[in-house]
This record gives sequence, structure tokens and C-alpha cells, in this order.
Amino acid sequence: MSRLLRSFGPHLTSLILLLSGVWVIGMIIGPQLIMVEQSFWYTDRGGDAVVITVQIDAHYNDIDVLAFDKMDAEDLAPSPERDAKIAEIDATIAEKRVIIAELETREVIPKKVYSLRNYTIMGGSHLAIFIKTILASVAVTLIAFVVCYPMAYTVAKLATPNRAAIIMLGLIIPYAINELLRVFAWLMILNYNGVANFLLGLIGVEPIAFLESGTGVFIAMVYAYILFMVFPIYNTVETLDTSQIEAARDLGAPTWQIHRRIVLPHAKPGIAVGCIMTFMLSAGSYAVPYIMTRGTAEPWFTQLIYNKFFESLNWNTGSAYAFTLLVACVIFVFLMMRMFKVGIKDIAK
Amino acid sequence: MSKVSQTAFGQDSRIVLNIYMVIFFSYMFLPLILMVAAGFNDFDTPSVTVWRGFTLKWFDVLAQDTRMWSGLINSFIIAVAVIAVSLPLGLAGALLVARLDSRYNTLIYGVMVSPLLMPGIILGISTLIFWREAGVSGGLFTAAIAQASYISSYTMLMFMARLERQDITLEEAAQDLGASHIQVFKRITLPFLKPTILTASVIAFLQSFENYNTTIFSIGGSHTLVTEIGSRMRFGLTPAVNVIGIIFVAITIICAALYVVFREREKVRTAALK
Repeated sequence: MSRLLRSFGPHLTSLILLLSGVWVIGMIIGPQLIMVEQSFWYTDRGGDAVVITVQIDAHYNDIDVLAFDKMDAEDLAPSPERDAKIAEIDATIAEKRVIIAELETREVIPKKVYSLRNYTIMGGSHLAIFIKTILASVAVTLIAFVVCYPMAYTVAKLATPNRAAIIMLGLIIPYAINELLRVFAWLMILNYNGVANFLLGLIGVEPIAFLESGTGVFIAMVYAYILFMVFPIYNTVETLDTSQIEAARDLGAPTWQIHRRIVLPHAKPGIAVGCIMTFMLSAGSYAVPYIMTRGTAEPWFTQLIYNKFFESLNWNTGSAYAFTLLVACVIFVFLMMRMFKVGIKDIAK
Repeated sequence: MSKVSQTAFGQDSRIVLNIYMVIFFSYMFLPLILMVAAGFNDFDTPSVTVWRGFTLKWFDVLAQDTRMWSGLINSFIIAVAVIAVSLPLGLAGALLVARLDSRYNTLIYGVMVSPLLMPGIILGISTLIFWREAGVSGGLFTAAIAQASYISSYTMLMFMARLERQDITLEEAAQDLGASHIQVFKRITLPFLKPTILTASVIAFLQSFENYNTTIFSIGGSHTLVTEIGSRMRFGLTPAVNVIGIIFVAITIICAALYVVFREREKVRTAALK
């Protein structure tokens, strides 16, 4: 703190502390805490709350119908019967209003009950979707690593500077094009009457329903997030002193040994970042399953979260689902940091 | 470097490597080429397998699409707000972490970069819930705040990288000569950070503009260009969406080419300085 004060003086230091506080507490920790808090309670409206609500609705409907009857009655020619009928309808409406008022007092203010219900409510099918989402994301991460490591190594160490620049351009362009558009390209390919089935048809294969089976989500997911593995690995491999590789080769090390003993250990932080990014983006992706399932295939876990929030409007359960996903991602981050023996400062660069 | 490429790989592995490159880049670019091609097809649904001739009519269709235009305007509004929020926050965070000698330093740093390591939808959701407690429902404001919560992490990392290369003696000298803290900050620190302020603004703008996952969870009933594209892809798909693809691809290619050229030039320059 004293160094901060010495560098910036009291005014700037307070401003720095204020802005950092707004960000860290007001935009990161605060919202997360409130989300977690929400996930641990639900609103209990009592056992017969639903029944009461239905009754109230029914009485309101009756009043609407009676209002129409009254209008009909008013259209009649003036006569004592007409007046009697109107008076009778008015009386019934008044009666119903009293009943509604009474019911509405019983439709008590919902009670806030703390429990684990939002988590236990998940059930077998949703848990299965959660596990499938996590496993599929791990698979995407592994595929991305296997495909991207040689590419990153080639750009960093093998290609001539001009060639490396061109390859880099070839990597940056698809990387920078919006996620949705990249997924959309695969929607066109894997659609029932898309390019893939057109090509399969040429060799006499029956059309395959890629989108309905969920394969489409996986294929597009690999395509959408694979490049997030290239750049972190490239950045670390590039800092490796090439003479180390040369020395190993001169001493007779085979290629796979060079990679196992020199390049891979050096690239560890990059691999960790690549794995974390790819996994996190896949597990937390809403765009890819949203576009690629078109509501027919089994949903991704993020879609369950979305439905809880915006379709069944149950924010408490939604928060519990969201927190479950967050915990999975945090565990993955720590696992990667352990596995590759890197700290948080190496990761976020 | 060329020596390594000769020694590290024999003729056979060179061929394997080239085949791998060809497959990799076909995989990366063929889908995009198909998407672009379908935007010029005179057929009602995006397709390349049914070719009805070349047309530019989908550009017209897109130009008359009012929801896309309003989405574009919303995207700009959010992006500008995100820049306005994430630059000061990122700078404050970077200065704090760079100059605070505390054992909580790593913890603070960890919290500040944590939004980059968690799924975007969680940021969207938690921001939405947080502001609902304050009586603000989802809209452009919450979308901008949700985006800024993680884009500030990017700007912070960029400012930190720059601050690491700062020569602190300049500030100290100015202070010894009687400059006030605010003068030092204005005359020395800020000018030193100026290039980063520029690049951080660009990055913040692009991140905000392109964002889907965080935005869709926090924007409520409003829409940005990208969320609108998303709902079109699911409902009411027309080649007008491909035209957006064509425009994005064109802009991306131009920007990426410029970036690579500048990067190479920078590399040559630093090599020359050495």
C-alpha cells in the first residue's frame, strides 16, 4: 500500500482503489455470490398455493363472463325484469370480488426456504446431460490438442519467416470470424439436405441425420474452438531457444524424444491455457448447440440453464445449474494447473 | 531457422507435414468458402448443392432488414459503453496489482483474471441476477456491464504487460524535481500507456461486438447484431445471413492481413534494433 501511495499520491490511489473495488466486488464477486445465494433457496408458496391461484383465476373468468351477460341485459328494452337481472348480475359480481379478496389474502407472500432442493431437483436425465456435456468438452479439448500441437510447432519453429507469416494469416482469419458464422457454415454442411449428405448421395449412401443425432453439435464444436488451442501453444513454443532442439538432435535424440523432453515441457503453460480455454468454451457454449440442434437433438447443459431462466422462469434452479457448471470449470482449471504445474500468473498472460 | 527445418525433418516427414497442412487449412477454409458461395446463390434457402445462378439480391434483402440495422446500432452502443467502462477498470486493476506490495497480490490478480476462465454465460447470468436485485431488468445496460466484467480482464492484462516494461526511475525523477503525483501520472504514465490504450480499445470493441454467449443471457428483450444473427440461424434462415457472413469474412481478411503485416514489420524493426 505504501508503494502505491508513494507512486500515485492520495487522490489517485483512492481512485485506483475505488475503480478496482467496483470491478472486483461489484462486477465479479458480488454477482457470483448473489447467484450462489439464489441457488440455495426457493420460494415456497404453501401446499395449496397453486389451488388457490387456480380458484382466483376461475373467479376472475366468471366475472368476465358476467360482465358480458350484463352488457347483453343492458341491450334489452327497459323493463323491471331487465333491471332485476342487471341488479342480480351486479350482486353476483360483488360477491365474487369479496371471495377473490379473501382468497388473495390467503395467497400469502411466498416464503423463502433455504435448501439444497435446486440441486437435488436435477434428476437423472439432467445429470446425464451434464456428464455428457463435460465428457464431450474433454473430448473436444483432446482433439484440439492433437490437431493443433503440430501446427503450433510448425509455425513457431519449422517454417521460414515468410511462410510462417502466411500460415499465421491462415490461422487468424478463421479464428477471428464470428463463432456463429463458423457454426453456421457447418449447419449448411451437415443439414439433412446439406453438402455432406449431397456428397454421400453421390457414392450411394443414404442421407444421415447429423443434426438430430447430436453429432452435428460435436463436429461444429471442434471446428468452432479448435483454434483457441493453437495460439497459446504457439506463444510458448516460440520462446523456446532453437539451439536446444539442435543440440538434442546433434546428440542423436529421435524426434519424439525431442518433443517429449524439450518442446512439450517448455510449452506446458501454453498447453494448460489452450486446454482451459477450449474446455471452458465448449462446456459453456450456448451458440453451438443452439444452432446445431435446432431443438431436435438432446440439449447441451447450457441450454438447460437457459430454459430454467427464460422459459420456466425458475431463476433459483437456473442459478443452481449455472453454479454446477461453474464448479466443473473451476475444477478443470485447477486440474490443469496441477497437471502442468503452472500458476495463475503463467496462465493469464 | 532454415537449418533446423532441414535437419529436424527428413524428406518423408516433410511430405507428411505438407499433407497435414493441406488438410488442416482445407478443414478451416472450405466451410467458410461454402458459406460465402451460398450468399450469391439465387435460391431461397442457404445452399450450394442447389445452384440457381449468381445473384446479388440478398445484399438488398439484408439492407432492408430493419432488425439487423437496429441490432447493429445496439452493438455499437454496447461496444462504446464497454470501452468506456473496461479501460479505466482495467487500468486501475493493472496499476493496483503492479504497485501493491501485498501478500494478497496473487489473490487479487487471480480474481481479476477469473472472468476469463469462466464460461461467458455465467457472467451474463450473474450480472442479470445482481442487477435484478437492484431493480434493473435485462437490457443493453446489463449486457454492457456483463461484457465489461470480463473485457476489463483483457485490458488489465494488456496494461500490465506494458507497465512491466516501464522505466520507473522516470516517475521518481519527476517526483524528486517537485512534480505532483497527478502531474507525473498525466505527463509520464499516461503518455507511456497511450499505445496500449489504443490497442486495448480496439480489442475491447471487437470482443464486445462479437460476443454472443454472455450477451444472450444478459440482454433481456433487446438484441444486438450477433444475437439477431443467432436467432435467424435457428428461425427463418435466408441467404441474407450468408451475406452477413460475406461481409464479416471480408472485414476479417482485411484486418488480419493488416495485423500480420504490422506484426512482421515490428519484428523486423526489433531485429534491426538488436
